[in-house]
Amino acid sequence: MTELLQTLVLSLLVGGIYALVASGLTLIFGVMRVINIAHGAYLILGAFITYTLWNQLGLDPLVGVLITTPVVFGLGWLIYRLMVRPIRHAPMSSTVLLTFGLALVTEGVMGLIWGNNSTAIRPSYVDESFHVGALFLPKAQVYGGVLAVVVLGALWLILTKTWLGRAIRAAAANPASAELVGIKVTSVAALVFGLGLAAAGAGGAITGVLYPFVPGSHYVWIARLLAIVVLGGLGSLEGAVVSALIFGFAETVTAVYISPAWATAVPYAIVFAVLLIRPQGLLGTRLRDDAVAA
Amino acid sequence: MSHVSIRHGWKAVALVGVMSLGLAACGGNSSDSASGSGDSGGDLTIGASLPLTGDFSEPGSAAKQGYEVWQAITNANGGLLGRQVKLTIKDDASNQNTIVSDYNALISQDNVDMLLGTFSSLLNLPASSVAEKNRMLYVEPAGGSPDMFNRGYKYLFFAQQATADKQGLVFADWVKNLPPDQRPKTAAYPTLDDPFAAPNVDGIRAVLEGAGIKTVYKTTYAIDTKNFDSIVAAMKSANPDLVVHGATFEDGVGLTRSMLKAGFTPKMFYETSTPSFADQYVKAIGEENTEGVMYAVSYSPEADTPGNKEFVAQYKKMFGTAIPPEDAADAYAAAEVMQAAVEAVGSIDDQAKLADWLRSHPVDTILGQLTWDDTGAPEGDFLIGQWLNGTAEIVLPPEVATAKAEVGWHPGS
Repeated sequence: MTELLQTLVLSLLVGGIYALVASGLTLIFGVMRVINIAHGAYLILGAFITYTLWNQLGLDPLVGVLITTPVVFGLGWLIYRLMVRPIRHAPMSSTVLLTFGLALVTEGVMGLIWGNNSTAIRPSYVDESFHVGALFLPKAQVYGGVLAVVVLGALWLILTKTWLGRAIRAAAANPASAELVGIKVTSVAALVFGLGLAAAGAGGAITGVLYPFVPGSHYVWIARLLAIVVLGGLGSLEGAVVSALIFGFAETVTAVYISPAWATAVPYAIVFAVLLIRPQGLLGTRLRDDAVAA
Repeated sequence: MSHVSIRHGWKAVALVGVMSLGLAACGGNSSDSASGSGDSGGDLTIGASLPLTGDFSEPGSAAKQGYEVWQAITNANGGLLGRQVKLTIKDDASNQNTIVSDYNALISQDNVDMLLGTFSSLLNLPASSVAEKNRMLYVEPAGGSPDMFNRGYKYLFFAQQATADKQGLVFADWVKNLPPDQRPKTAAYPTLDDPFAAPNVDGIRAVLEGAGIKTVYKTTYAIDTKNFDSIVAAMKSANPDLVVHGATFEDGVGLTRSMLKAGFTPKMFYETSTPSFADQYVKAIGEENTEGVMYAVSYSPEADTPGNKEFVAQYKKMFGTAIPPEDAADAYAAAEVMQAAVEAVGSIDDQAKLADWLRSHPVDTILGQLTWDDTGAPEGDFLIGQWLNGTAEIVLPPEVATAKAEVGWHPGS
């Protein structure tokens, strides 16, 4: 029973962090129909920026989110204006190619700046846990999970309770009609791209504390994130959250009750099985072929 | 129309510029590369592809340093066969497909005179096949999987003391012979699914199970495993006295950190590879958590082996620290082995002769004297290291030890 409870707690903590990082990826797709292959690279960039703030200024990584997130947001906004917007009406394969190129470029630039050695962020609480009976709750995971909930909550509030959120949802639902009612879809798209990458940057600050990383670590992350957003339904924030929790649960339970060797394979098998029954994902909607990209 | 073109023109230039910079940083030849021998006015060119980016970038970058130190020392001493040596090093991005392309390109496009190996069994397996097909000597600084040497290759040589399955045997024998009150009764064996790490752990497990030490947990995990909390939770439930972990680097750090978070500190802890990364290891898990961790290692900066002082001094001159990582030393030793064969034969035209010479002669290196069997597998004993008082010491075998082996892992001390 203790083992099962421990497994559930660990899977919830992992799933929460997956949800934060995946939310940006699904948001970008929802509004722009862009599959951002570089998303994992900006997660690692967020981790490196956090590392520098911690290593040079002694700033706690989780406080560093307040700096990391705006920096990555600004970078995302700039990347959209300079690179994504010129090809926004091109076929989806073009944006996939562009963002894959961006991932390679970002990896190379990170290698030049920080080197290709493994990097670890070790705040004072990194090896400590809260103990509840026989259960252990790693402090870094708990803090990271709480931060993920806060950031996801803020994102949800922005999307549902603000004018910007209404504009974003309008641009996602029908860009042409949104333009007719005065929404500058291009500006909204730039903001969304920035917000999406900012979520990745915030996730990087957290994952950088939990796992060591190198510039090339983004390949592992993007594979996992794409599986999560596809399972949840491309473009669905709620779907990404539900899917991330399922993914974290499947990984952890498989590692404990089947074998760690299958822990990375079983979640993908679940994605495959779900898509056979429900091709649009858990909470996704079927895409119209004539949908206009922002 | 022209207005639109001009307006977008600067963006295109900026985009291409930035992408070129990044792609240059991602791959291609390193800055100390040279063109093939045909263009280099008599230089002897030596090619290798290393994982400078991707999963194995940590050891790959260290191996590059080792090759560069060897190049500097060799050229300062008059070169090889009277010719200055030039390295051509490519980045395989830790990818098995890329490394095949790289070694083919080194041979057929760069026209290098000699080859040197790459890092990890995973990458050396395909790379050595390219060398064998082209009948070129292939001395590898890493790649100790037994699978490397059961293919009947003639040009492959491993420049360390023992293959992976035998690297932990000195440790296993030591544990087996501990006094009963100190000897662990149970053991756990988590390992990365890797042709180097898994045989290493299996070799130790076979000895310890034979000695009556009960296996209470055993598992293999995939290379892209990031989260070790669940493995540690299961291990903690099994409560072993000894953990033997088959790791490379990042997974070694990940599992150790998860053990610390879970408050799971077994009586003894042995880990492959990870603890040998000196500074990187200490930064990753914290110096206070290293106390007593044991590991197999091929090299010690303090070793009184031929050329070691010169290597350490040159390494310090080039890279600013007098503690070269093990992988840099292994790469240097691989180059020494290749150099010994070339100098003894006096020609590189028929590389089968170089391989024949190595099969029948020992070579003195900074790792000590190396000898090989007919398959190119080394025939020596590995060293066992242990972190004691924040220093990486050699503790076994006793005749080369810099400190006495101690029983116990004491994190937080």
